[in-house]
Amino acid sequence: MKHFLDLIPISAKVHRKQNRMSILCIILSVFLVTTIFGMADMFIRSQILQAQRDDGSWHIGLRNISAENAALMVARPDIAVISPYGTLNFGANLGYTMGGKEAVIFGSEEALVTKIFPDMLTEGAYPQAEGGALVTENAREMMGLHIGDEVTLNTPDGTSLHYQITGFVGNSSGLMRSDAYGIFLCMEDYRAIYPDVAEGEPSDFDIMYYVQFSHTRDIQGNIKNLKSAFQLSDGQVSENTKLLGLLGQSRDSFMMFIYAAAGILFVLVMSAGILMIASSLNSNVAQRMEFFGLMRCIGSTPRQVMRMVRREALGWCRFAIPAGVALGVVVIWVLCAILRYLSPGYFAAMPVFGLSLPSVAAGVLVGLLTVMLAARSPAKRAAKVSPLAAVSGSAGEARPVRSAANTQLAKVDTALGIHHAVSSWKNYLLMTGSFALSIVLFLSFSVTVDFMRHALTPLQPWTPDLSIVSPDRTCSVDSALLERLNEIPAVKAAYGRMFAYGVPISGSSAVQTADLISYDTTQFDWAEDYLLEGSLEAAQQAAGTGLVVKESDSTIKVGDTITILADGTLQEIEIVGILSDCPFSNAAGVGLIICSEDSFRQMTGLTDFTVIDIQLVRGASDSEVSAIHQMVGTQYTFSDERLGNSSTRGIYYCFNLFVYGFLVLIALITIFNVVNSIAMSVASRTKQYGAFRAIGLSTRQLSKMVIAEAGAYALSGSVAGTVLGLLTNRLLFAMLIGQKWGEPWGIPWSELGVILLILLFSVALAVYGPIKRIHSMTIVDTICAQ
Amino acid sequence: MKILTVQNLCKTYGKGEARVDALKNVSFSLEKGEFAAVVGESGSGKSTLLNCIGALDTPTSGEVRMDGQNLFSMGEEKRTIFRRRNIGFIFQSFQLVSELNVEQNIIFPLLLDYKKPNPDAVQEILELLGLTSRRNHLPNQLSGGQQQRVAIGRALITKPKLILADEPTGNLDSKNSRDVMELLTQASRHYQQTILMITHNRNLTASVDRVFQVADGVLTDLGGEANETLS
Repeated sequence: MKHFLDLIPISAKVHRKQNRMSILCIILSVFLVTTIFGMADMFIRSQILQAQRDDGSWHIGLRNISAENAALMVARPDIAVISPYGTLNFGANLGYTMGGKEAVIFGSEEALVTKIFPDMLTEGAYPQAEGGALVTENAREMMGLHIGDEVTLNTPDGTSLHYQITGFVGNSSGLMRSDAYGIFLCMEDYRAIYPDVAEGEPSDFDIMYYVQFSHTRDIQGNIKNLKSAFQLSDGQVSENTKLLGLLGQSRDSFMMFIYAAAGILFVLVMSAGILMIASSLNSNVAQRMEFFGLMRCIGSTPRQVMRMVRREALGWCRFAIPAGVALGVVVIWVLCAILRYLSPGYFAAMPVFGLSLPSVAAGVLVGLLTVMLAARSPAKRAAKVSPLAAVSGSAGEARPVRSAANTQLAKVDTALGIHHAVSSWKNYLLMTGSFALSIVLFLSFSVTVDFMRHALTPLQPWTPDLSIVSPDRTCSVDSALLERLNEIPAVKAAYGRMFAYGVPISGSSAVQTADLISYDTTQFDWAEDYLLEGSLEAAQQAAGTGLVVKESDSTIKVGDTITILADGTLQEIEIVGILSDCPFSNAAGVGLIICSEDSFRQMTGLTDFTVIDIQLVRGASDSEVSAIHQMVGTQYTFSDERLGNSSTRGIYYCFNLFVYGFLVLIALITIFNVVNSIAMSVASRTKQYGAFRAIGLSTRQLSKMVIAEAGAYALSGSVAGTVLGLLTNRLLFAMLIGQKWGEPWGIPWSELGVILLILLFSVALAVYGPIKRIHSMTIVDTICAQ
Repeated sequence: MKILTVQNLCKTYGKGEARVDALKNVSFSLEKGEFAAVVGESGSGKSTLLNCIGALDTPTSGEVRMDGQNLFSMGEEKRTIFRRRNIGFIFQSFQLVSELNVEQNIIFPLLLDYKKPNPDAVQEILELLGLTSRRNHLPNQLSGGQQQRVAIGRALITKPKLILADEPTGNLDSKNSRDVMELLTQASRHYQQTILMITHNRNLTASVDRVFQVADGVLTDLGGEANETLS
């Protein structure tokens, strides 16, 4: 030994068991921070990849700018790419056709497929000169096209234009949904084909410029510069909100709420780490007051004792921080691997062994700062131990007792257990805070599950893979088709709906027209979750009855009778239920009435469907879909929504994985934290328990004492956690969901129940271990325990 | 009437070369109301003997019978209850419950038995110990001598068959030591209380009825006469 601080490793050997718990706490805290930040980082990375793939790698879109200005912008160093992008027949309803199907015509330049949508080109190259074209994969497949083939585009005025295929691009979900082909032309050809405009500015050709900035650090600054340099109005500039949001560069108000919510969650995670380490260090030092007193006795100054405590804590960091970071990084790797496995199409680009530097930095920083901050208070406490106290032996008592336990209110074992918990307010607050924070964290993060459910609406049980839609939105899809579809093995379920749009109604002061929609049994079953009042059975079984979808300004109640004008006659519908929502949107001032197929047919006299939705069995192949398409024929719009669904599913998997990953992590941290805290508390009282046992405390009474102590922490932690958790849950709900979707907040009973059960389970687990350990020790060993 | 019978008690720690025989075939018995002392050098096995008799530790072999009942044939729970009703402990370091006041500490064994203490008996003990004015004080508000008196009160409250005192004056000055010894003697005489005390201070054996000596784990009964010689 050359220095008094050399005592630390020697002392560490003696107090290995106590130190192990503190080290575990630091590891857990660092792991929590690293993993949560790493997961958030990976989530953002994956979402950026997906956003770039789905919507393009552009930051802003510019409209109504001159070609001259566009040329000037290209030369700016802050702009990496600027690509014009024009669309004609976007709604696939103007009569531009290719191979007998509507064709959406795009005009652009090579940068579009190389820089803005880098994954778009599947084969070949962008047409370099007039007369060349890229076509979408669905056209390639249906028309059997190859590079070099000629494709004919028919315009509504009867002109046939011929282009040579230079390559193919992937299908977009919009095209598949509209059952249309896409053709990409160079700007000259696009301008030439655009109707009624010969010469003019890009805006005359409905051309927007996609802009990709060179750096993503200060996109808002770049936008500002660009606006002032070219006198652009706000209306001319549209942001790629999703991508900018993910890059942390959006000024969109909803994104600002999301950033604020992320900030709150960040502070909560940090607080959890700080509390865990602080409570662990506090407990550790408290157990060794006698030792510090002895140090003071021998001649250490309070400053030296403080140095010792701090140095000791930093010594733990040497192992604990790298271990916590390593553990966090491994968990992130596993999550990325799961993501790649679940949705290889979207997340193949995720690194196998990616390192999230921000998360590692956060883990290290939080670990070090927290330990330094957390060590301050115990170090001060240790330094305050008087040498006299050490000599008299009273320093060994973990905490000075100021008041006696109340043995009148409860039995002595329970009373002492409660007194152990509440006798030191600081420790009690730390433990309560630590328990409460677990609940707060869980309730706060659980809001993201609701957010996910709202943000990813297509993944509802009724989401179809294919839809056969009446082109003129009338009841013209042969109802016999439904039975034939249901017989196809690749079809899991097919269900039809009849629509009667804009039916005049009376009996409601707020709406004068309504869309009447028919449901079959399956669709009624799906509506069950949305039933606010009334009965679905009545609507299904009794003719002339229906359900209304709740509108904020509607006064319709269950039991009301509405008169509708259908099939040329006035008919009455009795409202037997109110739904909170349904899968269909309606125009303002137009109500939604849902009834059974029989009621619909009876009232309207119509028998065929407007839409038949098809859900496919898992793994249904493209050829099976083609066969369905052929069977259905071309008289209906065959909307293929699989691509869009797969994109949503990708986001859904990703979101699910991260959101539930966070929740599982918080649950695990709660269990570890509770188990560790109780174990430390029991360990600090082992000697005292030994004395109690010597006096005559039975093991059962000892268990009751420990349970009472743990129960006191759990009870106060649960109450505080529930109150604070509900407040943060409400705040985050308002920021993430209320603002955007206007849904009212409700107490999340199930989430609250889950975390309270986890806490209860953790407490049971936490008391079991130490009690079992003390049971197995002889009383003499317990008294002599260090 | 025999209260305590110890037969062939052995306690061994460690194995092989590290094996230490702390107690070697110890046998003796105590009559009701007897005040006995065990003397011996530090490390001779005194505390091990006391721990085994008090069922705080388990002997390697042998029997400890209290009022005819073999302590180690009972289950843990039953033994604990038996111990708190029949054996009182007085420790060198007092081992008071810091969260309980003087009165609560004294009645603690009764509370553990979920019994309602008799206020007269508590008052009598407090008076005997001279702690009436301190009944609501916490242990950290008492002197060492007062704390040990509380510990004696706690040992007496259940009127146990045997009180085991492990160096009861070890942490006290000579005046307080004298007081404690007087209290123990008084208890022995007044309540017909059987007491087995361990001490390394041979001067304290003056007031006891019988003295045992432990050396290298072997117990020798020095008897009452030897006691007189020693004192």
